[in-house]
Amino acid sequence: MAKFVTIGERIHCISPAIRAAFDNKQPEAILKRAKEQLDAGATYLDVNIGPAENNGPELMKWAVELIQGNFDNVPLALDTANKAAIEAGISVYNRSKGKPIVNSADAGDRMSNIDLAAANDAIVIALCSNGPIAADNDERMMHCQNMLEHGMELGMEATDLWFDPLFVVVKGMQDKQMEVLEAIKMFSDMGLNSTGGLSNNSNGMPKNIRPIMDSAMVAMAMMQGLTSAIVNPCDQRLMETIKSCDVLKGNTLYADSYLDL
Amino acid sequence: MPFNRKAHKFSASIGTVEIGTGDKAIKLGGENVMPFYTFDGSMGDGPKVGVEITDLGLDAEPQGVKDYYAGCTSFADIAKKAEAMPGGDFVVLRLAGGDPNGANKSTEELVAIAKEVSDAISCPLVVEGSKNVEKDAELLPKVAQALEGKNVLLMSAKEENYKAIGAAAALAYNQKVGAESAVDINLAKQLNVVMTQLGVSAQSIVMNTGSAAAGYGFDYTISTFDRVRAAALGQDDKMLQMPIITPVASETWSVKESTAEESDAPEFWGPVEERGIAMEVETAVACLVSASDAVILKHPKSVATISEFIKSLM
Repeated sequence: MAKFVTIGERIHCISPAIRAAFDNKQPEAILKRAKEQLDAGATYLDVNIGPAENNGPELMKWAVELIQGNFDNVPLALDTANKAAIEAGISVYNRSKGKPIVNSADAGDRMSNIDLAAANDAIVIALCSNGPIAADNDERMMHCQNMLEHGMELGMEATDLWFDPLFVVVKGMQDKQMEVLEAIKMFSDMGLNSTGGLSNNSNGMPKNIRPIMDSAMVAMAMMQGLTSAIVNPCDQRLMETIKSCDVLKGNTLYADSYLDL
Repeated sequence: MPFNRKAHKFSASIGTVEIGTGDKAIKLGGENVMPFYTFDGSMGDGPKVGVEITDLGLDAEPQGVKDYYAGCTSFADIAKKAEAMPGGDFVVLRLAGGDPNGANKSTEELVAIAKEVSDAISCPLVVEGSKNVEKDAELLPKVAQALEGKNVLLMSAKEENYKAIGAAAALAYNQKVGAESAVDINLAKQLNVVMTQLGVSAQSIVMNTGSAAAGYGFDYTISTFDRVRAAALGQDDKMLQMPIITPVASETWSVKESTAEESDAPEFWGPVEERGIAMEVETAVACLVSASDAVILKHPKSVATISEFIKSLM
């Protein structure tokens, strides 16, 4: 089994510093967060430029070249609702460390992002939803099947669609947690890759609680077969849990210093 | 249905470590396939063969080895003859006499021998210590210092003495260092981690993950090789992508199959020297087809045979 893939989520335009950096094309804040996340062990970095309706393509190109140029062609997830921006980003993307990830498609309005990934030999995050959160796993798996078939018709490898069950918040949807975990097991049993915004589960919880809940969630999800997650890699407890689960699953070979690697 | 050949390709590869200087320098490692799967990818420059000599002279050596070195009166003579052995790529000086429980030669005496050997040859040199961790922690840094500029491989740094040997060999004197673990894959990885944390670059480390004569717990040696390579190539584990060197002669020539005189052995065993060569060759072949990027041998017939074996599979 391959090592769990962490996608660092901290280059996100919801952060005022990152938003300002994108608005003014100021590299410092972006490079700082990229470095922090890579030092903490992230594999991929997510680059969320927001809707970027005016200058999306130009902005995404700038961001891709900036981050890959400074960090040895680190692989990236291109995260925006602006399709032209994703395509522009891929046009300057260096694949030597991994394919680009299109973040994201769903089984509704954003289905065409699968076409975009297929046309550009990219990985795509496929949200098992057509808008609202799926009512149950029958619905989740129907969306999964539809997107899988669509991708394969377009010539994609099944493993290039990373299915996202959509993690849901415990405070309000506690009764749905096991269902999400069961969906991951179903993806895994089909030999599919999976990912998701894992920390959704701890939304609204006190700051000191979130790393604990996220760590428990990632451990249970990895047991179910989750192959990747979009996370804050600077959360040390979470990263230690992921590395430990990778050892227990045989994804990496144990050495006493495994947490340093 | 027609047969479709599928290459067993990996996106990872074993690192390359260069030892020696000038035209005769060699590169260990560099492969990105299972051993000798040249039809699937690259084997780098291919496995190499080392010719072992020791500071203890020739008295205890098998007849064929004595005959080969006949007429040599100094370590320099022996070293030159070892370098000239057909099929050998590098010379290995094993400082077995340094063992405090054996001949207990002084560090000064052993360093002088290492210098004499090094000065006599132009091919790459590997210097093995006495196997005593305290003695080697003192001896190998001195050897590293004396042979500065020769780009030698010093064996071995172990869990107990890697700081002294790694710091001196690789950091202070820019030599290469062997990381030795005894059929313990987790320790093999850990040693590489702590050596790199010490500042030794991955391109300066060669692993000895353990060795044994065929039939003497050898299956553990092989399963360790298998697991090291599975992690290095299959999981792209950077901390296990160092090339592997395996001392063979020092293991195989001491077991009873190689030493029992004909009069003491079962009738069908045959001449003692033939058995010794067979043990050395069989063990080396099994190591090479499992992972080893270099094997250390001593009998001229074994060296010629293994060298031919490698050439015919490359």
